[in-house]
Amino acid sequence: MAESTAPQFKRAVVALSGGRTDRPIVALAAEVAKASKAELIGVHVVEIDWTQPLDADVAGRSESAQRVLDIAEATAEAARYRLESVLLQARDVGAALVDEAVERGADMMIVGLPFRRRFGGDFAIGATIPYILKNAPCAVWVVREAMPEEQA
Amino acid sequence: MERPHSAYFRYSGPGQLVAKPAASTPRTGLDRTIQRWKAWLLGRPLASEEEIGERLPKKLALPIFSSDAISSSAYATDEILRVLVLAGAAALVISVEVAIAIAVLLTVVSLSYRQVCRAYPSGGGAYVVARENLSQIAGLVAAAALFIDYVMTVAVSTASAVSQAYSVWPQLYDIRIEIALVSIVLITLANLRGLREAGNIFAMPTYLFVGMALLMIGLGLGQIVAGTVPTVPDPQFVIKPPSVVEPLALILLLRAFAGGAVALTGVEAIANGVPAFKPPESKNAGNTMTMMAILLGVLFIGVTFVGNKFGIQPTTEAGPTAIAQVSSSVFGAGSPLFVLFQISTALILFLAVNTSFNAFPRLAAILAEDGFMPRQFSLRGDRLAFSWGIIVLAAVAALLLVAFQGDVHLLIPLYSVGVFVCFTLSQVGMVRHWISSKESGWQWRMAINGLGAILTFVVLIVVAAIKFAAGAYLVVLLIPALVVLMLFIQHQYQASAKALAVRPDFIVLPPTREERAIITVPTINRAVVRAVNVARSISEDVIAVYISDNPDASRELRERWERQIPGVQLVIVESPYRALAGPLMAYLDVLDRAWPPDKPQPVTFVVVPEYVALHWWERILYNQSSRRLRAVLLGRPHTVVVDVPYRRDDPDRFHYDTEPHAEQEAPAAATAEPPADLG
Repeated sequence: MAESTAPQFKRAVVALSGGRTDRPIVALAAEVAKASKAELIGVHVVEIDWTQPLDADVAGRSESAQRVLDIAEATAEAARYRLESVLLQARDVGAALVDEAVERGADMMIVGLPFRRRFGGDFAIGATIPYILKNAPCAVWVVREAMPEEQA
Repeated sequence: MERPHSAYFRYSGPGQLVAKPAASTPRTGLDRTIQRWKAWLLGRPLASEEEIGERLPKKLALPIFSSDAISSSAYATDEILRVLVLAGAAALVISVEVAIAIAVLLTVVSLSYRQVCRAYPSGGGAYVVARENLSQIAGLVAAAALFIDYVMTVAVSTASAVSQAYSVWPQLYDIRIEIALVSIVLITLANLRGLREAGNIFAMPTYLFVGMALLMIGLGLGQIVAGTVPTVPDPQFVIKPPSVVEPLALILLLRAFAGGAVALTGVEAIANGVPAFKPPESKNAGNTMTMMAILLGVLFIGVTFVGNKFGIQPTTEAGPTAIAQVSSSVFGAGSPLFVLFQISTALILFLAVNTSFNAFPRLAAILAEDGFMPRQFSLRGDRLAFSWGIIVLAAVAALLLVAFQGDVHLLIPLYSVGVFVCFTLSQVGMVRHWISSKESGWQWRMAINGLGAILTFVVLIVVAAIKFAAGAYLVVLLIPALVVLMLFIQHQYQASAKALAVRPDFIVLPPTREERAIITVPTINRAVVRAVNVARSISEDVIAVYISDNPDASRELRERWERQIPGVQLVIVESPYRALAGPLMAYLDVLDRAWPPDKPQPVTFVVVPEYVALHWWERILYNQSSRRLRAVLLGRPHTVVVDVPYRRDDPDRFHYDTEPHAEQEAPAAATAEPPADLG
C-alpha cells in the first residue's frame, strides 16, 4: 500500500529499462496512481548506435523490446491498473525519455535505479538518470532497488 | 514504433506469447451475436489466473461441505415411516430405534472418514483411495458409483426441496416438475457462470436450517416433557396402514433401516474437499467431519423422536413431509416460523444440489485427465467451470426427475446403493493403505476402517437386496456398464496415442517424398486462379483436373485454359455417368500407379478452390461439391486436401490473384462466372 507521503501526479512517464527494477517501479507507480486516477505511460527506448540510420526498423522487430513493455503492462494489470506502453528508438535514452515527458505533458518521471552486485556492490546510476534529473520538465522520482542485505 | 502484436498478444518470455481477450474475439456477425448472448447469460470470460484458490475456515467449511449430509435429515425419517407403517400404526414407534441404529452406522462411517482426511490431505475421494490402494477397476467402480451418487443428489434434493415447498403451499404440487426443472436450470446457469462453493452466502442456509431444526427439536422436547403435546390431525394424503398388516419381522426392520440409511449420503464430501481447508488441513477437516456427524445424528434422531411422540404419520408424495409435520405441530401450522423453517429446509436442499454441481464436474475432469472420459470434460469453459460436466449432470438429473415424476420416494432406492458402494470401496482401500504405510497407530486406524468397511458392506448388501426390485437393480446394472464404457474410452485413447506416438530418440529429418498438386477445376474464375497460384507455390508438378459430362464445355474450357493459364497442365476427365468424386479418386489412383516404383509415393496435395459465403444462409448455396470431395479424400494415403478460400470482399484480390496480364480481364471474369462451386 502506498504511504501518504508518496508523491502525487496526474500523468507520469515510467522509464522501463528492461531490467530488474521495471516490475517494482510499475507496481509502485500503479499503487500511487490509483488514488488520483493518474495516467501512466511506460516508455522503453531502444538505443540505435551510429552504425544504423535512426529510422531503421530495430525496435519494432525486437522481441525483447516488445517483451519489456508487455511485462510492464502485465504488472500494471496485476495491480488492476492501466499502463499505456510506448516503444521508442533513439540515439540517446535519457533525451528520448525527457522528450516524451515534454510531449505528453507529464508532471512526473519515474525511474528505477538498479543495485549492481558485482565489484563490491553499488548503485549503477549510469548516464541516463543524471541526464533526466538535469533536464526533466517535471519532478523525477528515482526508486532504488533493494540492496542484498535488505532483501535477505 | 508500432507494436502490432500488442492488441492481441503479450510476450511472456523469449518466443512465447500469451493471448489477450481480443485474440478470441469472434470474427463473424453470427459468432459475435452468440458471444454477446453468452456473455449476458454467463458473464465475461475469465482468465485462468483469475481462479480463486481460497482456503476455508472451519466455520465456513462446516456448512458448505455438510449441506449434502445434513439435508438428508429432511427426508430420511419419511423413508423409515413409510416402511414401518406396513406393520400397522403401532410399529411407527420403532422408528426411533431404527434412527439410532443408523446413527451408530453414521458414527462408524464418520470415524472411518476421519482417517481418510488424515491419510489424503490432497483430497481423498473414493475414486482416488480405491485406485491407489486397490486397483484401477475398483477406482472406476467407485467413480461410477460416485457419478450415480451425484446425479441422484441433484434429483433427490431438488425433488425434496420442492416437496418442502408444497408442504406449505399444497397447490404447488401440480407444477412440482416445472419448479424442479426451473431450479435445475437456474443452478446450472449459476455454475456455468463459475459460482463458487465458498462464501458466506452459502453458509447461511445451513446455519439457518440447523438453528431452526434445533429450536424445533428443543421446543418439541419441551412440550413432550411438559406433557403438552398437541393433537396432530391426520395430514392430507396420509398413508393408512394396510387392512392386513405385515408382522414386524426382521425383514421389515431391515427395509426401514435401508430406507433411513439415505441419511448417510453426502458424509464423504468433507474427505473429498480436504485441500480447501485452512492449515492444518487434515486436522481441521477431521474435526469438521466429527461436528457434522454430531449435528446430523442429533437432527435425525431428534426429528424422528419428536415426530414419534407427536404421532406423525407418513404421507404419500403429495402430502406434507414428516419434518414439515413436526415443524407445523411445534411452530404452529401456517406460522411465520413454520414457513421460515420450510424455506430454510428447501434452501439447504438446493445447497446440497450445488455441492454435486461442484463435485461431479471435478471428478469427470480427473477421469478425463486419466483418459477414462472424453477429453472435453477436462476443459474449462469461459468462466473456468467444467462446462461439459455441469451440463451433463443437469441433463441426466432433469431426465430422472421427469421420468420419476419428481417423487423422492421412488428415487431413493437408486440413491443408497451407489453411496454404500463408495463407502465400502473407500474403507477397504484405507485398510490396504494402513497395512502398506504402517504409519504410527496404523493398527487401530486400520481397525476403524476395517469395521467401517464391514458395516458399510453389510448395509450395501441389505440395501441392494431389499431395494433391488424397487429400482436398485438399475444401479447394479449401471455401475458395470459405466465401468465398461470408461475402460472402452481409455482403450480408444491409448490406441490413438500409440498410433500417434513419436519415439523419443527419433530425429525428424527433412521430407524425402516428392510433392505434387492436383487442382480440382469447375471452371475458370477468380477462386480457381487463386487455387492455381497456391498449387504452384506447393510444387512444380501441378495438374488441373476438370471432370465433365459435357464434351463441348470441355473443349471450350481447354481452349480458354491454354490461353489464360499457360504452363499448368489441364486434364479433362469425361464422366458420362455424371459422377464427380469417383472419377477424381480413380484418376489419383492412376497417377499413383504411374509413379516410378523405385521412388516412394509422393504426397498429393488436392487443391480445392472454395468460395467463402459471407452470410450463414449462403452456405447452403455453395461448396457442396467441395465438401463431398473433402469427405471422400479424407483418409486417402499420402493425400492432403488444401482448401483455398476466396472471399467476395477480399480487398487485395486484384493484386494477389492474378498476374498482370490476367488483371486486364478480371472485371469480365467477375461478372461472367458464378461463384466457385465445383458442381
